[in-house]
Amino acid sequence: METLWLSGLAQYQHAADNWFAAILIAVIATTVLVSIAIARSGASLYIRRIPGLDAIDEAIGRSTEMGRPVTMIPGMTAFGVVAVQALTIFKYITKQIARFATPMRLLTGDATVYAVAQEAIQDAYNEAGRPDLYDPDAIRFLSDRQFAFASGVAGLIQRERVAANFMFGEFFAESLIFAETGNIVGAIQVAGTISFTQVPFFVAACDYTIIGDEFYATSAYLSREPVLLGSLVGQDIAKLLFVLIAITGAVLTSIFGADAPVVKLLGQPGGWDAFFGGGQ
Amino acid sequence: MWQIQNPNTPTGQLILWMIVLGAFIMIMGLVPLLHALPPRGRRAIIVIITFITGLFFAIEFFLPINKEQKNFLTDAIQPAQQAVQVITALALALGTYGLVRLHLRNVVQQRAQWGYSLVLLISFVMMATFSITNTLSEQGLVEKTPLLEQGFKLLFDYTLVQLDAAMFSLIAFYIFSAAYRAFRIRSVEAGILMFTAIVVMIGVVPLGATISPYLPGVANWILTSLNAPVQRAIEFGVGIGGLAMAIRLWLSLERGVT
Repeated sequence: METLWLSGLAQYQHAADNWFAAILIAVIATTVLVSIAIARSGASLYIRRIPGLDAIDEAIGRSTEMGRPVTMIPGMTAFGVVAVQALTIFKYITKQIARFATPMRLLTGDATVYAVAQEAIQDAYNEAGRPDLYDPDAIRFLSDRQFAFASGVAGLIQRERVAANFMFGEFFAESLIFAETGNIVGAIQVAGTISFTQVPFFVAACDYTIIGDEFYATSAYLSREPVLLGSLVGQDIAKLLFVLIAITGAVLTSIFGADAPVVKLLGQPGGWDAFFGGGQ
Repeated sequence: MWQIQNPNTPTGQLILWMIVLGAFIMIMGLVPLLHALPPRGRRAIIVIITFITGLFFAIEFFLPINKEQKNFLTDAIQPAQQAVQVITALALALGTYGLVRLHLRNVVQQRAQWGYSLVLLISFVMMATFSITNTLSEQGLVEKTPLLEQGFKLLFDYTLVQLDAAMFSLIAFYIFSAAYRAFRIRSVEAGILMFTAIVVMIGVVPLGATISPYLPGVANWILTSLNAPVQRAIEFGVGIGGLAMAIRLWLSLERGVT
């Protein structure tokens, strides 16, 4: 039978493939939502100091004094949770920038991020009470080709001698080109990424680096909104859960061996089948 | 149930065109509606659409599947993903428009360094012309002339690809300068980093085994027993953070850019 839409070519993951993981996802989601509810009810929550985020205001101040622009780069991140997080951080930075009328450039390699960034940055200027400072040309889509984007960013950083460079998002091989170019022009650089393969480059070339899940903690740290703080507490509880599972798995593997059903339950796809005798 | 059966028959064609027309009218109606609504109303529509879309993927994931690894929603995933591609294509047009507008203004108003903008615009027009014509010729819609063939080769293979390679090769020099700064021993941590890096670098090349038969084993232990678990821990944290962010977006609890 002829069909218009191709089907069956792609395999999608389902809860039935690994019920243990599915239940874990549900437990984590519940933990996060309960923590958000607790935070909203007015509970006082503590968040540890992250030096890289404290340096954002310092970098903006330096840019203002020098009269040079601030660059914000979400990388080649396609629109998704990483891009939303990056734009949330950039929105906060823009609000700070708006107070001092410091020039800014937001450079992206993804067109969907560009469209949302325009709205987000305009909102930031409006919320800061300076809609007159919003310049649509300050948000630029350079290219969706990796090294064309990298050369565009490097060229702009060099030509405009930026004083502060913020890189938040997902980065690939182009990360070091951005960071080293920023270093050459003497910019204060703060980078935050979920791409752990790029973390060493950022650590080597930037003044401050936000590593791993600190990237997702950034918006909570900067805004102190109860929803975000609660979510952060939920994430920490979930991490604790993972640590407990890892320790339990290590102990059980040591005692019963790697082929024991209870160990397969914890570690292998189709874990319930293994537990109830079906196996994979 | 999510597919048009026999799309080449008159009935199938009619259904197809009705769907296309319906989608077009819906989108063309939705955009001015969203613009006309006050912020609260606009936000309500976005919240509802976001929730329904997220719910679709959540239900599809959790519902039981048959022997073909599907449930009744699985076949609708691909059309949903194609809708995302359409939105991306529209955004790409918007991005290109923004880029051309900015550089046209630079040239017309002869702003500082407007020469770069002129180069960009000329390159843009030439590459777009040759790329589009080349694609059409591959589909047999236009004739493939020697000028087209040579022009496309010159622009794409001999210019763009080479410029990409040149940018990529810059990374080697940047790694060197960044590594020099990172490995300067200014603290105990930097000293440990330097020592570990030397052990790993020498241990994974034949020189390491020549110096000591134990060195490759030590390097491998550092990589698999120290480095890999830390990377996995970071990945777990990132995964949980992403999941929490996705939940906040789905339920519109995230107020950052939404």
